[in-house]
Amino acid sequence: MNVGIDPRKVIVCRCENVTLADVLNAIESGLDNLEVLKRKLRIGMGQCQGQTCLLLVAGILARKTGKSFDEVLIPRNRPPISPVKVKYFIGDER
Amino acid sequence: MKTDVLIIGGGVTGLFTAVSLLEQGCRNIVIIEKSYIGSGGTFRCATGIRASFTSREHVNVMKRAIDLWPEYARKLGFLYRRDGYLWVLTRERDVEFFKQVVEFHHSLGVPSRMISPEEVREIVPSINTNGILAAVYDPLAGKAQVFNAVLNAVIHLKRNNINVYEGMRALKISDEGSRIVVETNKGRVEADKVIVAAGKDSANLLKGLGVELPIHNLAKHVLITEAFKPVIKPLIIDWSSSSYILQVFHGNIYIGSDIPEKYDEPAVNKYMFLEKAAKVWTRYFPWLGEVYVLRYWTGYYDMTPDHHPIIGPLEENENILVAAGFSGHGFMMAPAVAEALTQYILGGKPTIPEFENLKPDRFKKGKLIKEIAVFG
Ligand SMILES: Cc1cc2nc3c(=O)[nH]c(=O)nc-3n(C[C@H](O)[C@H](O)[C@H](O)COP(=O)(O)OP(=O)(O)OC[C@H]3O[C@@H](n4cnc5c(N)ncnc54)[C@H](O)[C@@H]3O)c2cc1C
Repeated sequence: MNVGIDPRKVIVCRCENVTLADVLNAIESGLDNLEVLKRKLRIGMGQCQGQTCLLLVAGILARKTGKSFDEVLIPRNRPPISPVKVKYFIGDER
Repeated sequence: MKTDVLIIGGGVTGLFTAVSLLEQGCRNIVIIEKSYIGSGGTFRCATGIRASFTSREHVNVMKRAIDLWPEYARKLGFLYRRDGYLWVLTRERDVEFFKQVVEFHHSLGVPSRMISPEEVREIVPSINTNGILAAVYDPLAGKAQVFNAVLNAVIHLKRNNINVYEGMRALKISDEGSRIVVETNKGRVEADKVIVAAGKDSANLLKGLGVELPIHNLAKHVLITEAFKPVIKPLIIDWSSSSYILQVFHGNIYIGSDIPEKYDEPAVNKYMFLEKAAKVWTRYFPWLGEVYVLRYWTGYYDMTPDHHPIIGPLEENENILVAAGFSGHGFMMAPAVAEALTQYILGGKPTIPEFENLKPDRFKKGKLIKEIAVFG
């Protein structure tokens, strides 16, 4: 992909500090769906739960593999939608 | 498509077996996975690895696996470390029971030992030991990185021109005399040998051949928090509540806790799990209350009646081999299982003789595995 800048300096996932170069290398090594890229690179597994990176990586993957955006599997969201402190689950001590 | 060995199931069992076969010079292997790699039990697991069990089969198989884990870690490039397991005991009767367990471990060379609450604090400085009577510590136990272990195996296999197909589901296995034929959603595959490593689905696939495997899925619940620098080294089990906690290599804190579930019921998220996990572990780690939960997921243990896996060739047809029903312990076992399956495929016998007790025909023959006591 020609983006005109050094892919090692383009951050795709801010929570886990993943660069465009990391994404391109992983796809080239044969990991060509979002579910496995997520686990190899930890995109979507940080504090923001993938709110920016997953769509970016899906776009890169679609372009690299020639698949349509729909074919590029979108990982399931895990609850909670945004992080919640452990203490909020303790409930009332009766 | 034709191949020497077809592996059904892209979990840790299937992939490590392919790595082991490749090592022994077997290059014509195909792996098919109905969804994505690791999507079964594998990517949901806690990554705990130990030999401290209560049957001779589990102990000896896991000891072999523990010998092999460092080799896999080096070859595939992932982290594996012997950070120990710690069972914390809060009831007198549990202490008495675990004294027998430790004696059994020693008889088979597993170095577990009973320790005091003070020693617990030395191993885990941030724990609150109120209520802990004693603990059992197993320093040989440890953990490994599951994502890198499995995905680096995939990269290694692909580099060696072994095909790993995702989105390809086996539908039917038939024995056509000289070859085994597997129908899939993407066409037929013919193979000399077939390894069925598809979790509970293995039972459905083999039913067509008249082979009954008693495997049932049991839902399990897990949460993971944000990541920190290392604070908890061993995997800790609170025996009385059937709950465990560990800090994975990336730094996140992983918590599992049992809530009532029945065989073969769908795994759905339950608030009850979050409440129990939070209550049990904030008692031991009060600081945990301020930590953010990032994700909650479920997964299945593929359970058998004696809680031991089903491994080896079918009595009915030795070109079809099974490796399923791991009952919650299939990650730690994988390097030893891969070795045993490779030995069967190449016409030999497993290095660890106890594998022969895990063969699929044991249920039919009433030769279930015995434990000194039924145990996690
Ligand atoms: C919450 C949780 C915690 C755990 N913690 C631990 C632990 O600490 N230590 C430990 O050792 N174990 C642990 N386990 C158990 C461990 O994860 C499993 O035993 C292990 O991953 C099993 O690996 P496998 O390859 O045999 O099966 P799986 O990973 O389930 O792989 C089987 C694969 O086969 C595929 N498949 C199914 N049917 C078909 C078909 N018809 N065609 C093609 N593919 C098919 C599935 O999609 C799946 O990917 C845990 C499990 C859970 C759920």
